[in-house]
Amino acid sequence: MSETRTLLLELHCEEIPARFLKPLTQDFAAAFTKWAEGEKLSFGAIAPLYSPRKISWAISGLPVAQADQTELQVGPPQRMCVDADGQPTVQGQKFAEKWGVTFDAVRFEQPAGKKEPCAVVELTRKGRPSLDLLVEALPRLIAGLHVPKAMRWGHSSFEFVRPVRNVLCLFGEELVPIEVDGVKATASTWGHRLHHMSHAEPIPVCCPEAYEGALKAAGVVVSCTERRNILEEQLEELARQTGGQVVKDEELLDTLSEIVECPRALRGEFPPEFMELPKEVLVTSLKEHQKSFCIEKTDGTDLLPFFLTVANRDDDPAGFIKAGNEWVLKARLYDARFFFAEDRRTPLQDRLEKLKQLTFHRELGSYLEKTERIQAIATGLAHALQLDFAQADHAARLSKADLMTLMVGEFPELQGVMGGEYLKHEGEPEAVWKAVKEHYRPVSAEDAIPGTPLGGLLAVADKLDTLAGCFAIGQIPSGSKDPLALRRAGIGITRILWEQGWTLGVDALVDLGLKAVASRASKPAAETREALLGFFKDRVTYQLEVAGYAGAVRRSALATGWTDLVDLKARCEALSAFAEDERFASLAQSAKRIGNILKDEAPAATFEAATLQVAEEKALAGHLSRIEGAVDQASLLAALAELAQPLAAFFDAVMVKCEDAALRGARLSLLHRLQQAFLRVADFSLWQ
Amino acid sequence: MHVQELILRLQRYWADRGCLVGQPYDIEKGAGTMNPLTFFGALGSKPWNVAYVEPSRRPSDGRYGDNPFRLYKHHQFQVILKPSPAKVQEMYIESLEALGIDMSKHDLRFEEDNWESPTLGAWGVGWQVVLDGMEISQFTYFQQVAGIDCKPVCAELTYGIERICMFLTGIDNIFDLTWGDVKTDDGVFPISYGEVRHREEFELSAYSFEHANLELHWMLFSEYEKEGWRLVKELGHFLSAYEQTLKLSHTFNVLNARGAISTTERPGIIKRVRDLACACAKGYLENQEKQMAEQEVK
Repeated sequence: MSETRTLLLELHCEEIPARFLKPLTQDFAAAFTKWAEGEKLSFGAIAPLYSPRKISWAISGLPVAQADQTELQVGPPQRMCVDADGQPTVQGQKFAEKWGVTFDAVRFEQPAGKKEPCAVVELTRKGRPSLDLLVEALPRLIAGLHVPKAMRWGHSSFEFVRPVRNVLCLFGEELVPIEVDGVKATASTWGHRLHHMSHAEPIPVCCPEAYEGALKAAGVVVSCTERRNILEEQLEELARQTGGQVVKDEELLDTLSEIVECPRALRGEFPPEFMELPKEVLVTSLKEHQKSFCIEKTDGTDLLPFFLTVANRDDDPAGFIKAGNEWVLKARLYDARFFFAEDRRTPLQDRLEKLKQLTFHRELGSYLEKTERIQAIATGLAHALQLDFAQADHAARLSKADLMTLMVGEFPELQGVMGGEYLKHEGEPEAVWKAVKEHYRPVSAEDAIPGTPLGGLLAVADKLDTLAGCFAIGQIPSGSKDPLALRRAGIGITRILWEQGWTLGVDALVDLGLKAVASRASKPAAETREALLGFFKDRVTYQLEVAGYAGAVRRSALATGWTDLVDLKARCEALSAFAEDERFASLAQSAKRIGNILKDEAPAATFEAATLQVAEEKALAGHLSRIEGAVDQASLLAALAELAQPLAAFFDAVMVKCEDAALRGARLSLLHRLQQAFLRVADFSLWQ
Repeated sequence: MHVQELILRLQRYWADRGCLVGQPYDIEKGAGTMNPLTFFGALGSKPWNVAYVEPSRRPSDGRYGDNPFRLYKHHQFQVILKPSPAKVQEMYIESLEALGIDMSKHDLRFEEDNWESPTLGAWGVGWQVVLDGMEISQFTYFQQVAGIDCKPVCAELTYGIERICMFLTGIDNIFDLTWGDVKTDDGVFPISYGEVRHREEFELSAYSFEHANLELHWMLFSEYEKEGWRLVKELGHFLSAYEQTLKLSHTFNVLNARGAISTTERPGIIKRVRDLACACAKGYLENQEKQMAEQEVK
């Protein structure tokens, strides 16, 4: 085993935007891996390290040189290189000369693909020192990094995420003399800004192994994972001290870990008078404006008048940091309270007219028009689901009015939530304000569906309008293109139907949507309907996957109908349970066999039981009534389970397609009736 | 720290570091970037360092003087450094120390905040500078102005005067800041920000939200536009045409604050302002090239 070392590369930059840190380190690691493979250099692992001002990689186990490589050069056939006396011919000599060897070094063997022995020489190519390879490759790999929002600075035409101010590059203890946009690599780097202030010189790094430690001593925790762990622990402890808990937000924690080099959570207070603001407003305002967490009671209900934020240094020597953050937060909450008070001066009802000026989509009209369509769909749904018709209409009418409020203008993610809050304030019934509040849900795969029936109804109506409208003007998502997040809307509707257990079929739903958008449609309705049904079938298939059903269960259950999700769910449940039953394999086999026998037959639905002759077929016919009389999936499957043995016996004893036409007809009819019963659950021909 | 002292110190600091000290440009504008010292200064290849204070009007931000943190008109202190120096962040941090902020006791962060001005066809990347949780400055590396690549790239630093003054004094109402001391034979009279500006905030907020004559402003918008094009197209006068662009832009802001511009109309109207701004920038660069050619001949 040859000697290996660790390569350390650090680009010290002006503050790199948090969102680019991880992708950049990953992209470089991928590019390096690909390059190393091409150079036949193996290595251990790449540890990506980053902080706001640094992106670094510690690449371990890299050999100091490439291994020597041997290669065979094949020349002319042996008979042309050697004469009858065994002496080299001119051609043979020339071949040896070409590769710089004497004729003695030429061997004769039959290489793969040749019909006779040929002259070959084995050449050894000396592996190059890795250092040389790195000097050539690293600047190219760095320059080749894709930066989504690249910039230039000063006179340079080099483009990167932010100006590169120092390059640290070591291969073991040896400096790798590269240059990035005129910045020459050194064996030193810079620590935390506070460290600069008292240290004019950069900090030396003797070897890759000393890197993280040297930075820590200079105030920088360069591992993002470590910073995240430190912060999480501190945040939880600070919340615990107030008797509450952190309002969790993984995304915010990620961001905070990426914007500090020296993580320190700190807690501040805000005046209790701001507690009158809705919880969502406080949480959103603190997060969006001040990257701060709220603290809630341990039962997850109300907030406590504290917030948690993060500083980029380990202490707060004069208390300025806490005071500054509290001060700014107060200013922000002051604004939020101004919006909250100002917005409530105008009832949502009075804002409807203004929705006319807000375009939903160029071809689908204003938000007022959208509102009217949501009303049409919502009332249709209320009728189908036997929910309060007037309430559905009323909630739909007011659902989009909060788009015209100051608060939603400031925090678009509070759409719906604010509408609900304002309607609550206006004294609307709970069902109405709750429905408006939650009708954008679920906003993500992790988010819950609306908790109330009317909320679910309104959520479906809103999403359905968007979907049907876009499909009707030919805006159908394809590949990675889904600018209006239609797939998410489709998944939302599917989840609501699935989780709420609505008996309304997807086909009926699609028709409701199409009717509402008819006047705006530019595509033929039949075409749109087909496209929408196909789209929903994909979402339903996905839903079955998410619910965790096995592939065979999904395929066979979907094949016999998918638009009634309640029925589909019951069949999938029953099938999943039944698949565990030992009788099932034999039953599925028989069901397939029935399918094959009946493939080209059209037997009558009725038959005379008396026509049957053999005991096994009479026994089988005896099961029919119980199977056909089953009222639900569970009892049907129980009855089918009982059928496994008689069916197997039937196929052993009976030859279905016999000479006697009447007998054959009766047997086919019996099997046909059984098949119908099977299809009430699934298409077993797809079971594998 | 008084408002005027803050401005004076920043002027001194940047003058000492090789900047011209400029003056506000006497036409309404939304930001210091629109001052010709920046708009034209950022273009072309000649070195250009300038610092100045700029009163910046944002009609939609008006709060009638009721909100202690927001203003119709605030003051920006603007610094342009072309080409951007290698130690520009350090220079900026030292300027804060020159204001009396002891950096060893505070938490300073540069958080991504990219800047874009659709009306000027300009964009850059940079940060908002956050001190103890408060945004006190914008820091931008200009990449394009008027749709033209900046070569070399300049750094733009924008200090929010009122914000920083509040931060330094711990006063949490803009109007309670002290603008400066008036000294007469009768004694010393500290004058508050509110005394200087409160009534103005009230009237200008009321004007832009309620009283601005919409018909007049629509008319002005198209007249300024016509005038601007006439100047730049027929006469090749890019500076007087740029003044029309500034007026156009402010008229747009007033109409916008009155809610007179729908979301669908907005991009088209912004483009009309931008087109004129771009024509002015083109005229400026052409004139510069001509001048350089003439100098070479001499």
